[in-house]
Amino acid sequence: MTIAEPASAPTGPRFPDPYDIETPPGAEGWEEMYPYYNRFLPSRREHDAHRTWFRNSMHFPEPMPPFDIVTSDSAFMSVGVMNSRVFALPPALGLDVRVLNGYVYMSSNGVEDPAEIGRRAEEFGARAGHYYQNWPDLYAAWETKVRAQIAALVAIEIPVLGDLEPRERVLAGRGIASSNDLLVAYQGILASLDAAWNLHSELLNLGYAAYLNFLMLCKGHFPEITDQAVAKMVSGVDVLLFRPDDELKKLAALGIELGIADRLIAGADLDALRADDAGRRWLAACDESAEPWFHFSNGNGFYHHHRSWSDDMSFPLAMIGEYAQRLRAGEDLSRPLAAVSAERDAVVARYRALIDTDEGRQAFDEALGLSRVVFPYVENHNFFIEHWYMTVFWNKMRSLGSLFVEHGFFDAVDDLFFLRRAEIGDALVDLQMAWCAGGRPHGPDHWPAIVRRRRRIHAALARWTPPPALGPAPGRIVEPMTIMLWGITDEQVAGWLATAEDGAGAVRTLRGFAGSPGVVEGRARVVLRPADLSTVEDGEILVAPITSPSWTPVFARIKGAVSDIGGIMCHAAIVSREYGLPSVVGTGTGTTTIRTGQLIRVDGDTGAVTLLDD
Amino acid sequence: MTDMAYIRWFDGVRAADRPTVGGKCASLGELISAGIPVPPGFAVTVDAFGPGLHDAVAALPPADAAALVRATPVPATVAAAVRAAYADLCRREGGADVAVAVRSSAVAEDGEAASFAGQQETYLWTVGADDVVARVRDCWASLYTPQAVAYRSRLPADPAAEATRIAVGVQVMVDATVSGVAFTVSPRTGDRSVVAVNASWGLGQAVVSGEVTPDEYWLSKVGPTLTAGRIAHKTRECRPAPGGRGVVTVDVPAERRDVAALDDERIRALAALAMRIEEHYGCPQDIEWALDASGRLLILQSRPETTWRKTRAARPVAGSAFLDLVHKVGVRG
Repeated sequence: MTIAEPASAPTGPRFPDPYDIETPPGAEGWEEMYPYYNRFLPSRREHDAHRTWFRNSMHFPEPMPPFDIVTSDSAFMSVGVMNSRVFALPPALGLDVRVLNGYVYMSSNGVEDPAEIGRRAEEFGARAGHYYQNWPDLYAAWETKVRAQIAALVAIEIPVLGDLEPRERVLAGRGIASSNDLLVAYQGILASLDAAWNLHSELLNLGYAAYLNFLMLCKGHFPEITDQAVAKMVSGVDVLLFRPDDELKKLAALGIELGIADRLIAGADLDALRADDAGRRWLAACDESAEPWFHFSNGNGFYHHHRSWSDDMSFPLAMIGEYAQRLRAGEDLSRPLAAVSAERDAVVARYRALIDTDEGRQAFDEALGLSRVVFPYVENHNFFIEHWYMTVFWNKMRSLGSLFVEHGFFDAVDDLFFLRRAEIGDALVDLQMAWCAGGRPHGPDHWPAIVRRRRRIHAALARWTPPPALGPAPGRIVEPMTIMLWGITDEQVAGWLATAEDGAGAVRTLRGFAGSPGVVEGRARVVLRPADLSTVEDGEILVAPITSPSWTPVFARIKGAVSDIGGIMCHAAIVSREYGLPSVVGTGTGTTTIRTGQLIRVDGDTGAVTLLDD
Repeated sequence: MTDMAYIRWFDGVRAADRPTVGGKCASLGELISAGIPVPPGFAVTVDAFGPGLHDAVAALPPADAAALVRATPVPATVAAAVRAAYADLCRREGGADVAVAVRSSAVAEDGEAASFAGQQETYLWTVGADDVVARVRDCWASLYTPQAVAYRSRLPADPAAEATRIAVGVQVMVDATVSGVAFTVSPRTGDRSVVAVNASWGLGQAVVSGEVTPDEYWLSKVGPTLTAGRIAHKTRECRPAPGGRGVVTVDVPAERRDVAALDDERIRALAALAMRIEEHYGCPQDIEWALDASGRLLILQSRPETTWRKTRAARPVAGSAFLDLVHKVGVRG
């Protein structure tokens, strides 16, 4: 989508020039961690310095480890190709991507020529029309395709490079050696990632566009309607993102039924549970829930270190214990689906009745109907790709990392992620050649020092605060998709510019989006990574860069939520609304401005966070 | 001898009785029929402002007309009817000399075409039959205030003539602790899903006359849910004068100035009431309300909100060419 009209004048207000940004102390040499095509190359200064670049803090809140940039590449590539070449969205192509000091920035490519827009509109009509008309079938087929991708990725085997090839393979006359399997496996993993992200984006912008059509229609009739009210009219009552949490509740109930609740509350010891019948029955149920529902990232899935419940069961097990305790105390943990559904219908009826004309009501019905057709994908695609697929992906890469550790390339499996995608290809050839020759690979003498240096650089980049935008300030932000998906509005840009000019003044109020209504005051708990979730205490206000749906269980403990990143449809907003917690999303600087223990007020009606003490 | 043909009780009139009891009284009757809490009272009909006097003043300059109306005794049959009805009202309220508001109710007032807001007089805290009769006469005279005459002069001949037809409402006075205005459409944007409420201490006059900045509350009709509020610094309030006749404007005690005049629950209840009225009439309403000493919400008046009616219909939906295309191909293939 075109993010904004072109800047009015080259001499107007500016964000920092990307070419003037200094390297944070300790991060010297960061450029080597990213491929040339992701960087602001000095040779392209004339071109790149004159564009507006927005930071994508929604998907990439942390600096990118060198390998992890593949998620940015894949995600932007897939959104871009669907817009520009698959569905031919008339006004919008894809986004160009740059990495600066480890952080991801983007700039949109639009279509300006009216004749070209007209030609694309015709193509779009035929292509998108087909998708909208056949959406339920295509969505069902989509799920089948994604499940097949996941199954194929699971099936990729990282070969064992042993002393001798297995005799039976030789006797079967295979001819091709295991070293080739290694190459095929790595290429297969990368190709699979690319394909999975193509699928992720296949229905994405068509889905959002249909929703946006309804949103803007509602705003035309009701200029003061909140985005939350519109979301409420469209939202499904049974959303996959709640399923993992529901599984935990189910397991808590089963624990009570089997008489092992005390053991779950005390902190489930999986080995001890295996020792008796009740424990084994419970574990069998747990395994069943886990596949696939515990492939649920504690982060957003875009980073290798965003581990999932299935990688580390301590958080879900603790929540099962907590749920068991609450169930035993007589609490009803079920989500009131019938009430939610009835409320949704009542909201729709109320707004519909306020539209004066038959034509107006017909258009409202049509737009709402279309939104509801596409919405299951909008709400559920995330679980399939970002959570399930990506959990399997990172772990498949870890199998490759283990092979390298085995051959002395690295100290730790995750060191692999401090090599770029192409460097892993090189290391692989190194390993192939040495194994084939019966010699010693270069890797063990080459990579450990580089990985150590890059880990230091990465840590230094993590301490740096990236500006929200680079280059000339944009003209008016006119494009509704931008506003909805990225939370970038005229007001937001003006606020960023003002902050950039004021420098480091004492900030008392942060502005974001009203994610979920209500006002609450309380002590802040800043949680930068999912591993710190256990520090959250009852009645605190969660302040986080982004909240993943897998954080859902902790919403039962908190009073409100603030996120750096996210618009009205982000997970923090969706989950907060479900839990009736006030939330402000997309503040930009919540985690860097607010300290743990600080008293803050979260106004989910107006989107303001006020710092009440020092 | 009394002629009760000049009297119509609010609970017996409907919108269709406007030609007899005027817009305000017809609307109050209509509200009562819809089950809306409205202080009881009666209308002194248009016919009571007798044809003789009406014709006599028609040709006079405004000041002379007003003076003549004030100098002419209320016809005995009318005065007797008003006294009898007032006595009846006092009996129904279970007290002697109940305080009432005496309010003009012009036939053309609150009509579909123009609001006539504030063109005729209202006399609050009127007590005793003599004063009620005198204030009825003053309401008639208020037809000839310079501003009322000027207002009519801008109207075409027929509506202008109709605008001189006036009835008078006599309504039990609400001892308001808080009062204000509610709109069932956003005065900011014309958004029909919005209810806007103004509230301040005491009688509504301080709000209407602009003497205080009232608290402001914004609600969505879904729920209704409070979406925004602003507590104003309220320095003055209108209260019954000592002795209970007439009103005075006094300073608000410091401890109440910055306190919300309505709690959230009452704001929501008021919005729900306003929505019921809108639903009854089928169009956005501009409502005057009061909270009495016992904490009961009462509606004093409701009229169609006219400002946004025309502009809203023409307002385009804020889409884009791209979204129009999405709608087209999404819905119709």
